[in-house]
Amino acid sequence: MKKAENQNRHIYWNPYFGGFLLGLLILFTFYITGRGLGASGALKSSVVTVVNQVSPEHSETNAYYSKFLKDSNSPMNNWLVFEALGVILGAFLSGALTGRIQWQTQHSPKITARRRLVFALIGGLLFGFGAQIARGCTSGAALSGISMMATAGFISMLTIFGTGYLVAYFFRKNWI
Amino acid sequence: MQEELFISGRNIPKIDPSLEVWHFPISLYLFLGGMAAGIIFFASLFTILGKENKVQTAIKPAMIIVLFALSIGLIALFYDLTHKLYVWRLYTTIRVESPMSWGAWVLLFVTVASFLWVFSYFSELFPKWSIKTGWLKSFERYLINHRKQLAIILLPLSIILGIYTGILLSAFNARPLWNNAILGPLFLVSGLSTGAACIILFSRDHIERKLFSKIDLALIIIELALIAHMLMGMYAGSAVQLEALDILIRGEYTVMFFVFVIILGLIFPALLESIELLGFKVPVVIPALLILIGGLLFRMVMIEAGQLTRYLY
Amino acid sequence: MGPLIPNEIIPVEWNFVLAILIGMAFGYIMEASGFSSSRKLVGVFYGYDFAVLKVFLTACLVSLIGLSYMNYLNWVDLDQLFVQPTYLWAALIGGVIMGVGFLAGGFCPGTSLCAVGIGKIDGIAFTIGLFIGIMIFSELFEWIEPIYEDYNLGHVTLDETIGISREIIIFVFTILAILAFAVSDRIRKRTKKIFY
Repeated sequence: MKKAENQNRHIYWNPYFGGFLLGLLILFTFYITGRGLGASGALKSSVVTVVNQVSPEHSETNAYYSKFLKDSNSPMNNWLVFEALGVILGAFLSGALTGRIQWQTQHSPKITARRRLVFALIGGLLFGFGAQIARGCTSGAALSGISMMATAGFISMLTIFGTGYLVAYFFRKNWI
Repeated sequence: MQEELFISGRNIPKIDPSLEVWHFPISLYLFLGGMAAGIIFFASLFTILGKENKVQTAIKPAMIIVLFALSIGLIALFYDLTHKLYVWRLYTTIRVESPMSWGAWVLLFVTVASFLWVFSYFSELFPKWSIKTGWLKSFERYLINHRKQLAIILLPLSIILGIYTGILLSAFNARPLWNNAILGPLFLVSGLSTGAACIILFSRDHIERKLFSKIDLALIIIELALIAHMLMGMYAGSAVQLEALDILIRGEYTVMFFVFVIILGLIFPALLESIELLGFKVPVVIPALLILIGGLLFRMVMIEAGQLTRYLY
Repeated sequence: MGPLIPNEIIPVEWNFVLAILIGMAFGYIMEASGFSSSRKLVGVFYGYDFAVLKVFLTACLVSLIGLSYMNYLNWVDLDQLFVQPTYLWAALIGGVIMGVGFLAGGFCPGTSLCAVGIGKIDGIAFTIGLFIGIMIFSELFEWIEPIYEDYNLGHVTLDETIGISREIIIFVFTILAILAFAVSDRIRKRTKKIFY
């Protein structure tokens, strides 16, 4: 049994169980804080903070950064930043319990690790860009949005997954 | 010329409670002092028990860390002094009733004794630089033969050093947050646990790491219990204590205290260490570093939050 | 009663303390469900692994039904909860860009943080990409602003937009989700198994 576990690191939870717990967590989050989960907002706050540290003049003149800069509280002082920190720690805990912690680049055997990293970087760039336009990512806009039945949540989910299916053919070599 | 007339004795800089006169260097010093005390405690304890071979990191490399920690701590302390040139005056007197006098003297003895300790291991630590000078060599041999006696002196001194960092604060009876009897033991336990974390961080020996993980886990549990008791004690206290408690549990320092000290500095690393002891693989650096950072932040929170509280109104 | 923090039943200072605990639970659930693996995530687009679809839709169902029920029991006041504003074109264009980014990078922001937590280097690359993308967006904001700010429909919910009652939407959504689960299991049996 132990040996089988060591050879196969992909023993994950039943997806329905994971989804059920995730749903309960969203309920709990709404019940406590009045808003849902999110991830891209934390990254945005970090970017605003870093830019503001490096060049305060620039961040004040830029129309987008200046939205998130208020005199009294730093943008880093953001609910989502603490949540994002927690996500990393929670993932670390789960990884430790299942022996999945290791430095690795996961990629299809058909492509090189280098290609995978380049595509990951480009994908992250696009995702970060798109998440800013749509005011949230898959967790912030789609998941929490649908929980509240926000129209934007349904639009985000349908466009993200719809586009995904449309372009899947062009990226097939990276994955299958 | 503009004359000012003070009617009350309040809110006059440097006269009535001159608030926030202790800054970051003090917290750094308290942290490093506590950590050094912890390492010295373990090194001397295991030497007295005759189990030096099992804790090679604690008695050798970690003791060098102690020297650095004490030196940096003393520099930080000196840097924060207002009248730097009068520092020698601490050593012209011994006052039994003053924790600062105790601390100054204990610190002096501990530093000297730690230097002697590291010197006794000099040949083992740096085999290439053998000591040539005759009297130095015989001095080293004398120290090697008397290591156990040195440990017997260092063990109580380290406990005093560790506990004094807390007593120093709790002796301020004008600061309600500090003025409780638990602070001394709490800082001692916290110092011991950061010392153990430091040993884990530098240890290459699996058995030693496991031993100190166990010790650290027990210490963290004690520390959490002491923190709970400290908060309960304040909760049962008078209005000023309640106000001090509010800073920690529903005020300015709540996030720092609960997120970075309690959750990230104590509970999370304790969880990681316990699942590691259960046989799961955890990169040991993570809990050790979290404990060290948590220990430093704990001092910072206590120092800064403590200076917001006072009896006078 | 709820939400507890906006109604000051829990002091506001605890917001961040709870944030890190909620984040830990979020990260734990995502990692344990396999969301730290990009090849598992994109499996939904090639038919070899439908974990994303199942987790996502189950979570949506539980929270949709749960929130309505908690509203019915007067545990929470739905009007006090945050509904994000709908900017029609911004959501569409952003969604399309995110869809391409998902297929190229294999993560979304939350799951990439998860992957960072267990030491995946591609997750780190994705996160760096996210930062760069956000910076580019901010620099180009003056050109994007017309799309970003226009077609604001306000903080609307789907029942207001299409004029069907909330309960019916939830019912239809549930049926669709169950259908999707059934179909996905069928597709999965037919496609070639992929080991990763």
